[in-house]
Amino acid sequence: MLTEVKNQLKITSLSIKYAIMREMLNKGTFIMKVIFMLLNDASFIVQWIILYSIKSDIGGYTFEQILLLWGFAAGTFGITRFLFKNAFSLSDHITNGKLDCYLVQPKNVLLSIITGESDTEALGDIIYAYILLFISGVTLGKLLLFTVLLIAGSIITINFAIILGSLSFWFGRSDYIADTGNGLITNFATYPDGIFSGIPKALMYSLVPIGFIIYIPVKLISEFNLLYTIVILTVTIITTILAFIIFYKGLKKYSSSNLMMSKI
Amino acid sequence: MRKYWVIYKANLMSNLQYITNIVANSIGYFMHVFIFIQVWNYVYNDTSNLIHGYNKSQMIWYVIITEIICCCVAGRSLVREICNEVRSGNVAYNINKPYSYIGYLLFNNLGKSTIRVVVLAFIGFSLGLLYLQTIPEITIIKGLIVLLACILAITINLLFLIFIGLLAFIMEDSNPLYWLYSKMILILGTLLPIEFFPEFLQPIITFSPIYAISYGPAKLFIEFDYNMAIITILSQIAYVLISLGLCKLVYMKGVKKLNVNGG
Repeated sequence: MLTEVKNQLKITSLSIKYAIMREMLNKGTFIMKVIFMLLNDASFIVQWIILYSIKSDIGGYTFEQILLLWGFAAGTFGITRFLFKNAFSLSDHITNGKLDCYLVQPKNVLLSIITGESDTEALGDIIYAYILLFISGVTLGKLLLFTVLLIAGSIITINFAIILGSLSFWFGRSDYIADTGNGLITNFATYPDGIFSGIPKALMYSLVPIGFIIYIPVKLISEFNLLYTIVILTVTIITTILAFIIFYKGLKKYSSSNLMMSKI
Repeated sequence: MRKYWVIYKANLMSNLQYITNIVANSIGYFMHVFIFIQVWNYVYNDTSNLIHGYNKSQMIWYVIITEIICCCVAGRSLVREICNEVRSGNVAYNINKPYSYIGYLLFNNLGKSTIRVVVLAFIGFSLGLLYLQTIPEITIIKGLIVLLACILAITINLLFLIFIGLLAFIMEDSNPLYWLYSKMILILGTLLPIEFFPEFLQPIITFSPIYAISYGPAKLFIEFDYNMAIITILSQIAYVLISLGLCKLVYMKGVKKLNVNGG
């Protein structure tokens, strides 16, 4: 069992490595893209500086907490797009019959698919996340906790994308459902939950798990709470199991479309 | 001009076939406006409060209008498409066509944007009326002037996006420039009016394309003023000419060193 897991991890890391190497063929363009992504993320600070000059708290968040909120939002976005980009185009892979080349491979199909491509500029998002953590005030404990929560949040985000993408096994062209769901996380993640109320807020802690990806982690960095940490880790494990079950149940319904593709 | 009208109409009709896709893609706009309604609802304790001369209703209508102008253009895919055509050499197929490549791109995308504007305006005005139950008072004449300002704003935005795409002739990938451009328009023009920025920044934004693309048309909608209408339209005409000139300059310089890789 352990050898199996070890082999799978090795294959997954190799898959990620080659996806990144393909994207980094032109180093000049790669560096430029990362720098521009950093500037792109940093430009949003202006909006928050202005909003905080009007009111000292927005949605119950201090300016430092907004920096952390952006740190988690940029970090999870960066990790998921840098390492598992294909999770967000799973619906397209299913409806257009692009899974064939992954099915013939001897290792885990789902992991092979989601690690097949990389958005290298997303490295800029990851760097930006840590810059914000340092600006908001960092200790070794915070750095470790931030990293653990960032990884947990990224796994939940990926699981959410896999579940939404897998709906295409049953409903055919449902890519707009997946895009909308993933868009909801990206759009809402950069605003404090305190400005929302009622149904939208309830959704953030249930069907669209932004609360576990962003909001609770921000509160945990500000004030550590063991119970909340356990809740996040439990949600991470449950959503991972759910994502695998739903994907493999759906895979039984998959039919090829005679599309010729190769996976090198 | 007739050929460009045909290009515009052809794209308009073709996009009408995919109206459900356009509606589905408008969910992003709905989310942006919804979030900003919540933000301004939180910031304005009292509906009669004025921040930098704006009340809550004006701020929300400002965002509804600027977001329509911003979201009706599929900027990311337009820049990516031009970049790919330039890099692959496919742009060469357009050189021997009986129309200007820039004109084709502009009218083709204006066709796409027209239906999006209608859908987004429906969503935006429904949200605004539902939440605020009030709309800025505007006569038909003033409304037509605002509409003209919005059309010119979309045209300028499209021309600057075409310019960024054509920069692929000079740099390998101009997509990163699009990220910065779109964020500048979003932060300095779409989300907040000029009056919210520090005084030293205000003249810079006023003379930048942001005024012509976002601030001018939206401000006219929430607080119409004939003097401002003249200034806005004049600045928009100037920016149409500037952006068109920039596109032509890059295109003319670029096609001279074009290498077509077989095919």
